[in-house]
Amino acid sequence: MLSADPNSGMISGQKILAELPADLTEEGRYGERVVQVSADTVRVLDGAGATLVSVPIADLESARNDSLVSGGRLILRTKAHEDLVVAYYSLTHAQQFGELARGIEQLAKGNSLDIKLSLEKLRCDKCGKLLPERDGVCPSCINRGKTMLRLGGFLGPYKSRVVLLLGMAAVSTLLALVPPTIQGEALDRFNKGTLTTEQLYPFIGLWVVVLVAMAVFQILNGRLMTFLGAHLASDLRTTTYRAIEHLQMTYFDKKPVGAIASRVTQDTDRVWFFLVDGLPFIIINGMMLLAVAVMIFSVNWMLAIAVLMPIPLVALISMKVWRRISNLFFRVSQKMARVHMHLNESLMGIRVVKAFAKEDDEFVRFETRSQELRNAHVRADQTWHTAFGVMTLCVTLGTVIHWAIGGTMMLNNQLSLGDFYRVQMYLGMVYGPLQWFASVNNWFSRAMAGAERIFEILDMTSEPTGVGAIEKKIEGRVEFRDVRFGYDKSNPVINGVSFDVKPGEMIGLVGHSGAGKSTTINLVSRFYEPDQGQIMIDGVDYRDLDLRSYRNQIGIVLQEPFLFAGTIAENIKYGNPDATFEEVVAAARAANAHDFILDKSDGYDTVVGERGAKLSGGQKQRISIARAILHDPKILILDEATSSVDVETERKIQEAILNLVKGRTTFAIAHRLSTLRNADRLFVMDRGKVVEEGTHEELMEKKGKFYDLVQTQSAVNEIIGIGAV
Amino acid sequence: MEEMKLFYAPEGRLRLTKGNRSYTDVKLAWASPLSFPDRYLAFMDGKGHEIFMVTDPRAELPADVWEVAKREIQRRYLNGVIEKIVDAKTEFGSTYWKVLTDRGEKEFITQSLSENAQWLSPTYLLLADVDGNRYEIQNIEALDERSRALLTVTV
Repeated sequence: MLSADPNSGMISGQKILAELPADLTEEGRYGERVVQVSADTVRVLDGAGATLVSVPIADLESARNDSLVSGGRLILRTKAHEDLVVAYYSLTHAQQFGELARGIEQLAKGNSLDIKLSLEKLRCDKCGKLLPERDGVCPSCINRGKTMLRLGGFLGPYKSRVVLLLGMAAVSTLLALVPPTIQGEALDRFNKGTLTTEQLYPFIGLWVVVLVAMAVFQILNGRLMTFLGAHLASDLRTTTYRAIEHLQMTYFDKKPVGAIASRVTQDTDRVWFFLVDGLPFIIINGMMLLAVAVMIFSVNWMLAIAVLMPIPLVALISMKVWRRISNLFFRVSQKMARVHMHLNESLMGIRVVKAFAKEDDEFVRFETRSQELRNAHVRADQTWHTAFGVMTLCVTLGTVIHWAIGGTMMLNNQLSLGDFYRVQMYLGMVYGPLQWFASVNNWFSRAMAGAERIFEILDMTSEPTGVGAIEKKIEGRVEFRDVRFGYDKSNPVINGVSFDVKPGEMIGLVGHSGAGKSTTINLVSRFYEPDQGQIMIDGVDYRDLDLRSYRNQIGIVLQEPFLFAGTIAENIKYGNPDATFEEVVAAARAANAHDFILDKSDGYDTVVGERGAKLSGGQKQRISIARAILHDPKILILDEATSSVDVETERKIQEAILNLVKGRTTFAIAHRLSTLRNADRLFVMDRGKVVEEGTHEELMEKKGKFYDLVQTQSAVNEIIGIGAV
Repeated sequence: MEEMKLFYAPEGRLRLTKGNRSYTDVKLAWASPLSFPDRYLAFMDGKGHEIFMVTDPRAELPADVWEVAKREIQRRYLNGVIEKIVDAKTEFGSTYWKVLTDRGEKEFITQSLSENAQWLSPTYLLLADVDGNRYEIQNIEALDERSRALLTVTV
């Protein structure tokens, strides 16, 4: 954290240029430490402000971060080659410390301090709680009690229908109150001996009219609810899917596909079920409760108080067990996701499972997860039924109270038989649904758990698309300026890479695995953006470019080409759906794919993917090259495009690639170094840096890293008989 | 086992002499810290190559070497071992924890517990907070009742 006011502190007369908190002590305990850097000193203070370490920068040679488990440490190396461990920190501060080490090194080398230490907010200003995302919003301050409102927001487009639904619900409620009133009145007259047959039939007639009206409203309500339900479900699913699509790649790196998929299907299902079944239930029965209370009070207020007494008790029990039950159901959904995940994984890897004859082990794993789900279910449902039983008892007590008090009142002539009967009927009307209020809780808990998971996705930072950014046709000049990047912020994989690639140039990236080749192309594709430094496209920082338009001008051919279910023609047209058939054929020809496509009985209409035609790896690769050719990108990325095929197929693919790279800036990674002979320049990468660059011949002459790589590979190839490079 | 010595020279840099060989910038690494805590400790040289590995360091290493190794491990493995859960509350998909650990008091946040709470055994729970810091509960049953109750309603 950069000191808010750099003038506030001085170290021996020098301004503090940078200040960073650390959260671990030298002995690895949680505690406060502050690292301060001035132009000539690095100083570490403890929580009370006492100086623990003070090192003159003039004595330093370098500074680095040692990444540890769940944290790291800042190490200063003196000119006497002594290593000083000056601060320990958790991963929370790791990225900032990486930057600080760079800054200290700049000062040690006599340069001025040029680092980006931002003032990061870890806690909410308002409530002091930790923030889930640094500098992010505080969910409890922003969202408290608003999940429901937010869910309600999904009803927005159907406002008029919702109003209609509520109106009809209100009318139904009022109508439901009519029959007990009629019956009570009839009973009273009967009791007094004044009821005649002429009076009875109109009563019955009115009753039938009310019943028919209620049935009509019920049908209309049901139809309307179904409509709303289906639409809401669809809206929720598509919104969630859209949000997931635009999440940053890091999200997909961390989460299994099954778990993501369950959010789109199960969680949304739970939410719409609640919105469509649960919410109207609460509203209709809430109205009913209110109306009935009014009616009972109008009969006799003392009796009303007595018979309605158990209601608060039921509400209290509901509230008490709500959180617990809700958590139990949340656990059920988690276990369900685990079952799904295992199912997805084992079915996708069924070939490997069978090859290793591991069906039994997979079965045991599945069984275990299924049993975990079963147990979670049993626990949640049993807890719920227990609570439900207790609530039922409280509810029935209402009727008993009515008979005890109302009965006595009737015997004392304080209450007529008709009124006694009406109260009895009204009680049935509220206590029935009241029992189900407990299950509304159940739906509510499930729905809220689902909603929280959905909103978690909706609230996640999506890919920076560059709002209001530049949309332009690019020429293809790619420049890295001191780019640093790490998937894990404390551990940079790309560490200060700079290069300039001219439009149309073909670059081969070579180096051992883990050298940073794939990360470099991930950065060019903008799947990830640099932590520090800049990537310039045609002289513009690519973060200022519109993401969609930028990606539209990039083509990628991967080692394992991914084809979608659909025809060959559809797959070739994926990036350019408006292409004509002639263009598709031309692309396929250029990709050396035309001949084998014609060989299929359905030609370009051959369906690939599940249940479709089996395509070999090389054929899929050539289709993916045709797709890239038709996409006509300015920047092309070839990631081990030829590594999984035989030599003859490789030759065909090589030819296809030669057609593809013409006039495009190309970055190619290839395991077989010989395949990069056509590259204009080769970048040799090692430990996140470009250590050599030049043409194949130049690098061979230089006898450096590249030469060593080629020698090793030739030796290996000779042994396995592929033929020397 | 050959005679060996493990010491800091200078402070912060671990050195190992074993028989007639000497290694600088020695790094200690548990081979399988979650499945086999306290077993399989590897010693690596400054280049990251394994020097040797012991199955049961407490029993197999000379007492003085184990003392230094323990100190180094404590500094290298910064996972907090939770001894008591003071508070745990889930709101809108984030769980706010306040715990007592072997390293002192700590507050942290976890999200989507289905992915970030990992049961290594029915009683061994590993939590990862939003920054990737990890916290272990090595034996749920050894926790006090309140901690266990909080855990039941959150994880």
